[in-house]
Amino acid sequence: MSATMSETILPTRLRLYRMMYLIRRAEELLMAEYHPANEMRCPIHFCVGQEAMPAALSAVLRRDDVLMSHYRSHGYYLAKGAPLDAMVAEFYGKATGANSGVAGSMELGSHDYNFYSGAIVGGSLFIPLGAAFSQKYRGVDDISLSVIGDGVFDEGIAYEIFNLAALHRLPLLIICENNKYAAHTALERRQAVTLLAERAKVFGLPIDKLDGNDAELLLDTLQRLVPQIRAGKGPHFIEIETYRFCGHVGPGTDEGMGYRSAAEIQQWKARDPVLTMRKRLAESAEGDALEGVEREVEAQIHAAIAAAKRADFADINDILANNWSGGYSSVVDRFTGASAPIFRGDQSEARPGPF
Amino acid sequence: MLSPQNQATQSTRLTFAQAINAGLRQALELDPAVFVYGIGADGPAGIFGTTSGLVDKFGPRRVFDTPIAEAGLAALAAGAASSGLRPVLVHQRLDFMLYSVDQVVNWMAPWRFMSGGRAKMPVTIRAIIGKGWGQGPQHTKSLHAWFAHVPGLQVVMPGSPADAKGLLLSSIMSDDPTLFIEGRALFSMQDEVPDAPYFIRLGEALVRREGSDVTIVTMGSMVPLCLQAADALDASAISAELVDLRCLMPLDVASVIASVKKTGRLVVVEPGWRMYGAAAEIIATVAETLGNNMRSRPRRVTWPQSAVPTGSKLEEQFYPTSDDIVGACRASVTEASGAK
Repeated sequence: MSATMSETILPTRLRLYRMMYLIRRAEELLMAEYHPANEMRCPIHFCVGQEAMPAALSAVLRRDDVLMSHYRSHGYYLAKGAPLDAMVAEFYGKATGANSGVAGSMELGSHDYNFYSGAIVGGSLFIPLGAAFSQKYRGVDDISLSVIGDGVFDEGIAYEIFNLAALHRLPLLIICENNKYAAHTALERRQAVTLLAERAKVFGLPIDKLDGNDAELLLDTLQRLVPQIRAGKGPHFIEIETYRFCGHVGPGTDEGMGYRSAAEIQQWKARDPVLTMRKRLAESAEGDALEGVEREVEAQIHAAIAAAKRADFADINDILANNWSGGYSSVVDRFTGASAPIFRGDQSEARPGPF
Repeated sequence: MLSPQNQATQSTRLTFAQAINAGLRQALELDPAVFVYGIGADGPAGIFGTTSGLVDKFGPRRVFDTPIAEAGLAALAAGAASSGLRPVLVHQRLDFMLYSVDQVVNWMAPWRFMSGGRAKMPVTIRAIIGKGWGQGPQHTKSLHAWFAHVPGLQVVMPGSPADAKGLLLSSIMSDDPTLFIEGRALFSMQDEVPDAPYFIRLGEALVRREGSDVTIVTMGSMVPLCLQAADALDASAISAELVDLRCLMPLDVASVIASVKKTGRLVVVEPGWRMYGAAAEIIATVAETLGNNMRSRPRRVTWPQSAVPTGSKLEEQFYPTSDDIVGACRASVTEASGAK
């Protein structure tokens, strides 16, 4: 998504809504294309219902901040400012994709925008932990964010990361989207004690527990917390309660699988984060601008899908060459050439000593 | 990069452990993005002396101790490397780093690939193999072949102090994730080691000894035993050429093929398990390339396909000796020639 004129001059609340609407509509239009055309041939985990947090983050993050999310990542990718066209092209596996078509949805990333994601539960803690270490080490005030799901609390690695983040007082914000289910298994069936944030707290991370479907509330909290983290106050943990309207993977709803009730889904749909925000705006002075914003976003998504369909796949030989860089730090260049200290190649004196 | 030309340079006689220490020290001096960490990295034992004194010179920001959290530490390396730093993570035994296989294999290794060739992952993981003196089943594993199997990883196995320093500096300055495997048995081995920093391009084997009758291909802790074996073979007028791979990945296939073309015979000596190992890969590659144009069938000298026993007598019988290498080479040379 390139920054459009209206986006840059929109007031904050309208920008917040614009981002939520972009995430929602992109998912809906992609879902509509997914099965019938069968051109996006990769597993996709749609994030419908979980738009509030990424939208709130988009208002407080910088390009140099590092964000890594779980595989339900599209909202966070867009929130980081990475281009919509490249995201859609990535799902189509094309050369113009954010990852040149090798990652699909599950490992979607944008190196240029410091956004990453991945398919393996817990992985979204790794890169932000180290990136936060790097930010502190380099003395910059950028921060790192890790977005995890409740499933990560099943993994032992979570606790090592909490400990290391607190021990080193890293500029790391961990956000847990507690949407109650890991794939098709409810939290209560996986854990004897279902408290999540409290576990981060005992490792030394201050916590907040918030309604994850209220974008304005989330933004208020982030506007308070993020400057503190930038200022070196150490890591923080936020747990939000939210819900995915879709099934675990693909455009369906998992209806009939029996792991969650229709009543529960309806109860959460009544708290739809996008509609909630739209309603608030419609009742305000900014209401008149809504339809224009929506039309513009809609056109942008259609254009992205059309461009992705037209694009070519990368050359397989170029792709296979990407496993190793074969490169070295420029430090090495100082030691090449005639004046470089060089050891005799034969090392004839190398013989085993007493060992 | 190192080119094999003779050039005078100041050098000092160092042990393998001291050479590692010197390499770390110079990497820390050369690049402020380098940091060294691991269990005991700043401790009194200095990880067999390999990190001794570093914290005094570079401070706790760049050289530090850690919790016993191998997976979390590898996660830290992955993130720091993706964000401009050059971490050096030290494991006192390779066995311990198996907690971090997810971080290494699922994240570091394909990181550049997944980015469409845009990202770097300059991580160095030092892993020490505790061969000898009763290290037993959980301190001795050398899983070099496992890791070399994974696209995106580099696997480096120095066999001399001078190589240890040059290869370590290259590993740290490489933009790809590198597993640097050190044989504990080599730590007291002494060698002239150049004082100034130097770099050995990863993936360049070294012909340590020229010969005409049989090619010995080896790596890591078996290098000195192979040198001993080659000397012993000399006495019975068998001239062995010794190719020290130095890296399993990238693998210098050309040097191996060139040597076997010359001698017509191949013995691969590997400090690890027999089946599906590096020796199997090298023999397969040579067989694919040279077919029947060899003077005898290839042989391998490896560990038995067994976990490592602790008891001293058992251990003695477990590990191959230079006599075993001599035996394999002799058999290779005396084998009744078949077709050619």
